[in-house]
Amino acid sequence: MGIHSVGTSDAALVRRVQTGDAGAYADLVARYRDRLGRYALHMLGNREDAEEVLQDAFVRAYRSLGCCDDPERFGAWLYGILVNRCRTAGARAARRARRFVHDPAALETAPFAGPDGRTEWDDTVRWALARLPSDAREAFLLKHVEELEYEDMARLTGAGVSALKMRVKRAREQLQAMLKEAERV
Amino acid sequence: MTRTGTRAALPLLVAMVVAGRATAQQPDPRLERLDTAARPTVAALVDSARAAMLPTEPLVQRALEGATKRAAGDAIVAAVRRLAADLGHARDALGPTASPAELTAGAAALRAGASQATLAQLRHARREPLTVPLAVLADLVASGVPVDSAAAAVLGLAARARDADLVEFRRAVERDIALGAPPAAATAAAATAADVWVNAGARQQRPGRP
Amino acid sequence: MFEPMDDLIERIARHLRRPVQIDPALDGRVMREISALPTPGGATALRKAWGWLRRPHQVTLTPLGGLAAAAVLAIVILLSRMGSTPPAPPLAESRAFQFVLVAPRATHVSLVGDFNDWDATRTPMLRTGREALWTVVVPLMPGRYHYAFFVDGSRWLADPSAPVARDEDYGEPSSVLTVGGGS
Repeated sequence: MGIHSVGTSDAALVRRVQTGDAGAYADLVARYRDRLGRYALHMLGNREDAEEVLQDAFVRAYRSLGCCDDPERFGAWLYGILVNRCRTAGARAARRARRFVHDPAALETAPFAGPDGRTEWDDTVRWALARLPSDAREAFLLKHVEELEYEDMARLTGAGVSALKMRVKRAREQLQAMLKEAERV
Repeated sequence: MTRTGTRAALPLLVAMVVAGRATAQQPDPRLERLDTAARPTVAALVDSARAAMLPTEPLVQRALEGATKRAAGDAIVAAVRRLAADLGHARDALGPTASPAELTAGAAALRAGASQATLAQLRHARREPLTVPLAVLADLVASGVPVDSAAAAVLGLAARARDADLVEFRRAVERDIALGAPPAAATAAAATAADVWVNAGARQQRPGRP
Repeated sequence: MFEPMDDLIERIARHLRRPVQIDPALDGRVMREISALPTPGGATALRKAWGWLRRPHQVTLTPLGGLAAAAVLAIVILLSRMGSTPPAPPLAESRAFQFVLVAPRATHVSLVGDFNDWDATRTPMLRTGREALWTVVVPLMPGRYHYAFFVDGSRWLADPSAPVARDEDYGEPSSVLTVGGGS
């Protein structure tokens, strides 16, 4: 597992998978796991759901690898699959998060996955992000965190560029308002 | 981004993933102050809280307090677990939109003896953030005010009082207690006085209205 | 004074761009799941691959693509230099609070609490005057803090002028300070 060679392109790995070398897919998974996991984690708000959705996206991508017309754009194509899976899982993730809070026993048996944020600022940002409407959160993450162009975002989400710009604008305004509220105390 | 731009950027994105993984694998240096027995359990509790979208900084600080005070590992784990549970109960009462600061103050109020019903009533009574009312409630109980008296006073003021008014109210109660007044009586007197100046302030903001 | 929206959004985005580590065990779970699936692509993919290998390819970079690549490279260099990530600077203004303890027989007093990671070395207090007042001024953001005085490296004292922390878990006294925001 892991990244064997930065120089092996996605397209080369995809071709190897398509010719029967399933092991090459492990390299693609390792290559994109953390980067796509970051989007899923911020979009869904909890690690358990993010990993489930990420795994689902990787498996779906494998199944439909024959439909990947441009293996050199495997990363963007995989991204589109993940964005769609996150949308489907969004409501389910919210329900599970509330059940998790009601289960104190769960706090005693959680696996250790390493801290990735440990300040009040981190708590506040995660809280504010979770309060955004899901379409605004999606647009904000794709634009400002994943740093995609609007045209690429439109291809991933199926929404028009104008609609995406409005969602990003709404997200920025709401984050500004919420963080101002959080700092009042 | 054009197709050729994307092609050129992808190998660089791969390099970013490599650098990112190297950075993310470094342990949290603050938790290393805990002994080796307590550290993984505390880290797991912190991670679980994060997964449940509860604030984690209060948990880390509670653990660090235990480490500095040379508490036993079991005591540190128990304290962090207790606070994590309180944060969850605070969120049950205050709702999923409660901010990290509100949850932390709510947990303190619950630990002081306030009920979840009181927290929920505060949420309904006041549109502004609840951090200061909840902190005042917890501080009053810590000063010896019976929890029912403290809750009634804070609930009575919360709808109309600003944060600064609530802090001043708490200072007034503590002053009177330091001068020898019974805590419940000091609270009632300060609440009456606070009600007067809160109403006076409201009238000043709305001239011409009774 | 609240910072402009662009600065705030950039701060949020920078925070969210920090690397996230997903459990590497996920790789194994994916591979186990796909092991039961047929090879994707098949003969058609072979023909496509052969056609791709035979075609010449040229990678060119638009000026915008070049800027994007340079920005990504800068992020790579920055990430590779980062050790433990320091906390982000606070958004709202902090307020200065003076802590005072009367301890005429003490030789060393430090202020320890939630605002300095309970590090007994971080905030030593200064002895002033003949009454042996120990003082220190600390900037604090709005919030609720547990704290105590650590005297001569061995004794914990609560602040007699502050509420006692009732949620005390460790058998040593602590005090509570609530710092409100302006409202």
